[in-house]
Amino acid sequence: MVILSLLILNKAGGLIFQRDFNEGLKKLSSNDYLVLAGTFHGVHAITSRISPVRNSGGGLEVLESDRFRMQCFQTLTGTKFLIFAEPNQPNIDVVVKRVYELYADYVMKNPFYQIEMPIRCEAFERNLVAYIKPK
Amino acid sequence: MTIYSFYIFDRHCECIYVKQWHQRDRTFRPTSSSASTVDSPVALASDRHSSTSSKLQNEVHPSSRGGRLSVQDDAKLVFGVVFSLRNMVRKLSGPDDSFISYRTGSYKLHYYETATNLKFVLLTDVKMNNLKVVLHQIYVNLYVEFGEFFSIEHPGGEGVAVELFEMGLDSFIRTIQD
Repeated sequence: MVILSLLILNKAGGLIFQRDFNEGLKKLSSNDYLVLAGTFHGVHAITSRISPVRNSGGGLEVLESDRFRMQCFQTLTGTKFLIFAEPNQPNIDVVVKRVYELYADYVMKNPFYQIEMPIRCEAFERNLVAYIKPK
Repeated sequence: MTIYSFYIFDRHCECIYVKQWHQRDRTFRPTSSSASTVDSPVALASDRHSSTSSKLQNEVHPSSRGGRLSVQDDAKLVFGVVFSLRNMVRKLSGPDDSFISYRTGSYKLHYYETATNLKFVLLTDVKMNNLKVVLHQIYVNLYVEFGEFFSIEHPGGEGVAVELFEMGLDSFIRTIQD
């Protein structure tokens, strides 16, 4: 399984987590990641607005480019998980669900985590790496 | 397979062609500012024509599309989205990578950009396969053949070449839909 990178955005479009797992995407400065997250948040809102179908729910779900494929999962509370993978990576849905579970278990259940703030939970990162890059 | 709409944006970020299907069969061609300054009778006539048609559209809109946006505003939003996503993709994986498509729960947007920064955008239903090749063919076979002539020779005007382009596009889209 080749997952390139994971970004987590809070409901206001702020970046609360970013981590690269494999080579493939360029390293950006932390400021650039923040800008990227904010831009994506706006674009995501517009994509649901320009839908040609009436009463369509939700914005961008999958973005494809020549070199990667990005899956966006928005929770009911508005948190977004962006998973970057290789273009022909199957079953990203499963990965997204699992990452969401890890987030629920190790971030939301961490008594010291302040909601909407950047995620600094060691257990979360450890389990994430163990799941995405098993040795 | 359903095809909802088709947009062309030129390198000045202006929308030079819109066609929508399955909403209401009508075309809107934004008049460029250069066309309105030309005071030949032909340009004036076409200006008047487009202004009446846009007025008509405004009257039709609220009832036909509920609280939805006008065609022009839709085009601006579509441009904003593809422009941002394209920049995002380039920033993340280098300038030689290109954004191909995205999909939401209800539609899929296909994108193709030529070396001269012309942007072709097609909105279809979710199940459609990759249409980058199709957009490339629209560019090569239709735009270069008929459209190029139109945009260079008749900025904002109407001519035979446009009709040829529209006819070509229509028949082309029909072949994808089947």
